[in-house]
Amino acid sequence: MVAILEISKLCTAYGKRRVLHEISFDVQAGEILALIGPNGAGKTTLIRAVSGTLPIEAGQVQVSGRNVTQLKAAERARNLAVVPQARQLGGAYSVEQAVMMGRTAYMGWLGRESREDREVVAWALAQAQLTDYAQREIAELSGGEQQRVLLARALAQKTPVLLLDEPTNHLDLQYQANLLALVGKLARDEKLAVVMALHDLNLVSLAADRVALLVDGALEALGTPANVLTADRISAAYRTPVDVVPHPISGAPMVLPRG
Amino acid sequence: MLFGRIKAAVEGRHLQAPLFVYGLRYVSHFARNYSALRSETGIIMLRKYPYLANSLLLISALLFSIALGAVFIPPQTILRILADQIPFVHIPADWSNAQASIILAVRLPHTLLVALTGAALASSGAAYQGLFRNPLADPYLIGVASGAGLGAVIMMTAQEFNGHIGLYLIPLGAFAGAILTVLLVYNLARVNGMVPLTTLILAGVAVGAFASAATSSLMLRTDLQIYRAITFLMGGSPMAGWQPVLAVLPYMLSGMALLSLSGHTLNVLQFGEEEAQQMGLDIKKAKIFVIITASLTTAVAVAFSGIIGFVGLIVPHILRIIWGADYKRLLPLSMLAGGSLLLVSDMLARILIAPSTLPVGIVTAMLGAPFFLWILRRAKKEVFW
Repeated sequence: MVAILEISKLCTAYGKRRVLHEISFDVQAGEILALIGPNGAGKTTLIRAVSGTLPIEAGQVQVSGRNVTQLKAAERARNLAVVPQARQLGGAYSVEQAVMMGRTAYMGWLGRESREDREVVAWALAQAQLTDYAQREIAELSGGEQQRVLLARALAQKTPVLLLDEPTNHLDLQYQANLLALVGKLARDEKLAVVMALHDLNLVSLAADRVALLVDGALEALGTPANVLTADRISAAYRTPVDVVPHPISGAPMVLPRG
Repeated sequence: MLFGRIKAAVEGRHLQAPLFVYGLRYVSHFARNYSALRSETGIIMLRKYPYLANSLLLISALLFSIALGAVFIPPQTILRILADQIPFVHIPADWSNAQASIILAVRLPHTLLVALTGAALASSGAAYQGLFRNPLADPYLIGVASGAGLGAVIMMTAQEFNGHIGLYLIPLGAFAGAILTVLLVYNLARVNGMVPLTTLILAGVAVGAFASAATSSLMLRTDLQIYRAITFLMGGSPMAGWQPVLAVLPYMLSGMALLSLSGHTLNVLQFGEEEAQQMGLDIKKAKIFVIITASLTTAVAVAFSGIIGFVGLIVPHILRIIWGADYKRLLPLSMLAGGSLLLVSDMLARILIAPSTLPVGIVTAMLGAPFFLWILRRAKKEVFW
């Protein structure tokens, strides 16, 4: 296996306040790594720093052996795609237009679409199960469908690395399961290296190959869900007593707040 | 009072030819021959062909603007006179020399200047709205027009000393004023990487008021004619003839050509700066490009036509409702429709207190202020453009 995304001793700060402290981990092609941790632990910050929108104080992030900070915006967008947090999208763009904007890094200033761009957009729409919605306006779609638009837009960037920032927030159970199944399939079929910040610890154990636990900007634990999601560790990290029990069918660890 | 004006105009007391009678005849002729346009399919056709619809509108506005004046000249005569100007085309003259010279020396340049100004203001308004992701960003409301006015007036006062060359320096002064204002307002209005509606308008009003005050005091302290100065500030064209058209043309054409190239960039920016960057847009370069081209275009419009508000607000807004928010299309359409709107406003400015004329900025403000309030109410519900 080859590490596509290599993060070593990454530090960032907002002003004088250090937010991330010497974070190191690798992600391989076809692997899903879940980022967990209490609010304010630095999950979103880590995704912003890796995607190059937040300056890095120290350490480095490499994609396919190249340093992210030295890449131009377009080159970076051909290597790393971000699916932002779910939010209400407005605006009078069609689904197809919105996904086509994911091709910006391959287009010139004028945004003229090549045949390859159209083919990739059609592929991305199909992957995100949006082909039938191509001509609909994004403002008319439900929250789950809008989140798939953002996923398709990221897929249209055709990157080896996909970063997702709490993609299931505000979504109903059916959309959460649907989205995570999609991401899992993409990681397997397209050999994408996926980093996904997640809030719901029970989704983590179902969807992720490995888990990184962040606490106060530091990497507290890194390993398989079974290794990281232990009652002691989660209770300490979230400062709340929890029990971890095996899933009755799959046996995956389930985190339950102690009642 | 308005009714009296219209009545007077119909009776031909102020306008020698009965414009409104002609207008009615024209409309009924149009309805008889193009009844398809009145039917639903006709409207759908126009919706389907936005460029055609807006070009037709602009052409009619251009013709009516040339036709209208103290002496009414029918559009078919105008077309014949204009066709006669094309090299190697000779049309047998059935018009008087006076008609030809009125059209060619007075009304044609005036009409072109008005149309170009409207196109520039509307398209730069659309670009500012896309850049700030804010539906109320109009060159006038965000103070850029006032800043450009100050720059233009500084150059005008310098023109008193420099003579003829000053005419060509006015747009440069206006450009510098516009750029400085937009940068100032943008930085004042920015909160956490966003440019919220309230801070944008407040910063625009404050900076604009300061620039207007500086402009007024400058005008009062110099030998500029007071009438010319006041009409300039109210949005009246201070100059006539071909000279200002020629001075404006290179800046406007290049400004608008560059603006119409930024459609894709503005589309991507609608997802927010951070996401645009993650999609591969060099946002620093993109923002600088849009700010410079939009400010150049605004500045030139202000330099020769005075401070005219609300065109950049009304036009893109209506176009968005009918044809959607795709900036690749919105920018060129704004140019066509902006020309039409300012021509119509200019015709109203010439009719309302005929035989004298109102500064056109007064008419656009009367149309635009209620429109502004309407958008403000609507904007509370919308977050994203």
